[in-house]
Amino acid sequence: MIIEAHGLKKTFTSRSRKGPKTVEAVKGVDLSVESGEIFGVLGPNGAGKTTTVRMLATLIPPTAGTALIAGYDVTGQPAKVRENIGYVGQAGGVDENAPGREGLVLAARIGGMSRRQAQARSEELMAAFSLTDLADRPIRTLSGGQKRRFALAVGLVNRPPLFFLDEPTTGLDPQNRANLWDEVRDLRRQGTSILLTTHYLEEADALCDRLVIIDHGLVVTEGSPGELKKEVAGDVVTLRLGDDARIGQELLAAQPYIKEVQPEEDTLRAYLDDGEHNLPLLLRALTERGLSLKSISLDRATLDDVFLRHTGRSLRDAA
Amino acid sequence: MLRQTTLFLGYELRNTLRNPIWPLFGLLQPVLYLLLFAPLVANTAAGGSQADTLLQFTPGVMMMIALFGSLFVGFGMISEIRNGYLERLAVSQTWRPAIVLGRTLRDMIVLVVQALLLVALAWAMGLRASVPGLALMLLLMAATGLLASGLSYGMALALRDENGMSQIMQFFALPLILLTGIMLPMSLAPDWMQAIAQFNPLYHAVEAGRALFAGDFSNGSIPLAFALTLALGALTMAWSVSSMRKLAG
Ligand SMILES: Nc1ncnc2c1ncn2[C@@H]1O[C@H](COP(=O)(O)OP(=O)(O)OP(=O)(O)O)[C@@H](O)[C@H]1O
Ligand SMILES: [Mg+2]
Repeated sequence: MIIEAHGLKKTFTSRSRKGPKTVEAVKGVDLSVESGEIFGVLGPNGAGKTTTVRMLATLIPPTAGTALIAGYDVTGQPAKVRENIGYVGQAGGVDENAPGREGLVLAARIGGMSRRQAQARSEELMAAFSLTDLADRPIRTLSGGQKRRFALAVGLVNRPPLFFLDEPTTGLDPQNRANLWDEVRDLRRQGTSILLTTHYLEEADALCDRLVIIDHGLVVTEGSPGELKKEVAGDVVTLRLGDDARIGQELLAAQPYIKEVQPEEDTLRAYLDDGEHNLPLLLRALTERGLSLKSISLDRATLDDVFLRHTGRSLRDAA
Repeated sequence: MLRQTTLFLGYELRNTLRNPIWPLFGLLQPVLYLLLFAPLVANTAAGGSQADTLLQFTPGVMMMIALFGSLFVGFGMISEIRNGYLERLAVSQTWRPAIVLGRTLRDMIVLVVQALLLVALAWAMGLRASVPGLALMLLLMAATGLLASGLSYGMALALRDENGMSQIMQFFALPLILLTGIMLPMSLAPDWMQAIAQFNPLYHAVEAGRALFAGDFSNGSIPLAFALTLALGALTMAWSVSSMRKLAG
C-alpha cells in the first residue's frame, strides 16, 4: 500500500460577519492505494477532492483521521512523506516569470541533484513532454496546456514513487488530454503510483485502475470502473414518455429483465443487461400498455449511472 | 540549508538579470530627485554649495531606495501564493526559510548595486564623501533593505491580498518619509515633529548616513542606526520566515 488513509476529515472554519462558519469539506474518507496503480478520485465540484489530496500531500493537517504515505504518517513525518511524492495542484504552480528550464533545474537541485544531473534530468523530461522548444520562454508566455506540461515535468523531476495530480486535464484540449493520459500510463509502466482527481467520467473510466466516487465529502462507492458499472448493469435505456412517466416507471420496474429504473427530470433510465436483445421486449411491453413513446435510446452504462444510482443525481448536473 | 538558500538566491538573481529593466526603472525616481531637488535645495537659504547639499541629500535618497525598492517586493509573492507556486515548493523537499532568505539576499544585492549607481551619479555632480563612510552606508542600506523586505514578505504571507497590502503601505509611507528628513533636514521641523521622528528608525538611518558621508564616525547616530535597523530587520525576517514555515500544513 502506498496510501492508506482512515477516517480523514477536514473542517474549515471561516470567519464571517455572522460569526464563525464551519464547512465540512471532507467528512470521513478511507482510501487504500496499491503501489503501481492509477487511482482516481471522481466527484463533482466541491465534493472535497482537492481537500483530500491536500491532506495526503501534507499541505493541510487533517481535522481527524490518519494517513500513511509510503509508510510515513502525514502529520508525524511530513518531511519523509515529501521525499516520496510529487504534487501538481489544480492551479499548476509553476513560477510564471522564469523560463521553464530554470524552474525544472531548480526543482531538481532542491531534490538534491548536482548541477549536471539536474540539467540532464531536465532535458530528459522536456524531451518526454515535447517542451524542449519552449524551454527558454518565460512560463507566462505559454499556453495553458504548455504550462500544465511544465507543471507535470516539475512534479516528476525527482522521480517520486507517488504522484498526486489534482484535475490534471481541466482546460486541456482533447489532443493534449489524450497525450496526458498516455504520459500517465507511461508513468505507471515505470512503476510510479498515481492518485488523480477528476470530474470527467470518461477520464476516470479510461485511465484509472481503481477509483472512489466522492460526494459531499464522503466516499460513495469504490472499485474498478468495470466492477462499478457492472453493479449497475451493462446497458441503459433512456426513454421519454410524456405524461405517462409514472405508469411507465411501474411497468418497466415490473419487467423481469430490468434491474432498476431511475427517473431523471422528464426521462426514465432503465438498467438492464444484454440491451440489444431485451429492447424489443421492452418496446412490446410499452405498446401493449398503450403508452406513447417520444424518444428512446440504448447506451452502455457509464460511471455517471453509477453516480446516479448512489446519489440520485447525475454527475453532469451535480455541480 | 545554506545550499538551498544559495540555490534560491541564484535562481532569483537570474530572474532579475533577465529583466534588469525594472530595477533600473526603480532608480529613475531617486535619480530625478538628485538631479532636480538637489539644485533646488542648494538655492534656498538652508542650502550651501551644491557639494554640501549633495552631502546632506544623497544619504536620504539612498535610504529612499532602500525603503521603497524593498517594500514592494512582497506583491509578487501574493500572486505566487495564488497560482500555487509556493504551495508546490511547500510540498517539495525545500527548506522553507530558504525561499524567503534567497529572495531577501537578492533584494539586498539589487539595492547595493542601485546605490552604487546612484553614488556614482552624485559623485559626477560634485559629491565628495568619506570613502569608508560610504562603505558603511552601503551596509546600513542593506540592513534597511533586510528590514523592508522582511516586512513586505511577512505582510504578503499574512494578508495574501494586494489591495489590503497597498492600503497599509500608503498609510505608512508618507509619514515615514516626512518624518525621516529625506527631503528637508528635520532641523527645520517644529519640536513636536522632531520628537516623533526619534521613534522613526529611518530618521536615525538618514542621520547616520549624513554623519558617515561627512566622515564624522564618532557620531552617536551611527551605532544607534545600525543597532535599530539590524534588530528590526531580524524581527521582520523572523516574522516572514515563520509565516513561510506555516505557509501550509
Ligand atoms: N480554505 C477553505 N476554507 C473554507 N472552505 C473551503 C476551503 N477549501 C475548500 N473549502 C470548501 O470545501 C469544500 C470542498 O472543496 P474542494 O476544493 O475540496 O472541492 P473539489 O472537490 O476539489 O472541487 P472542484 O472540482 O471544484 O475542484 C467546498 O465546499 C469548498 O468551498
Ligand atoms: Mg478541486
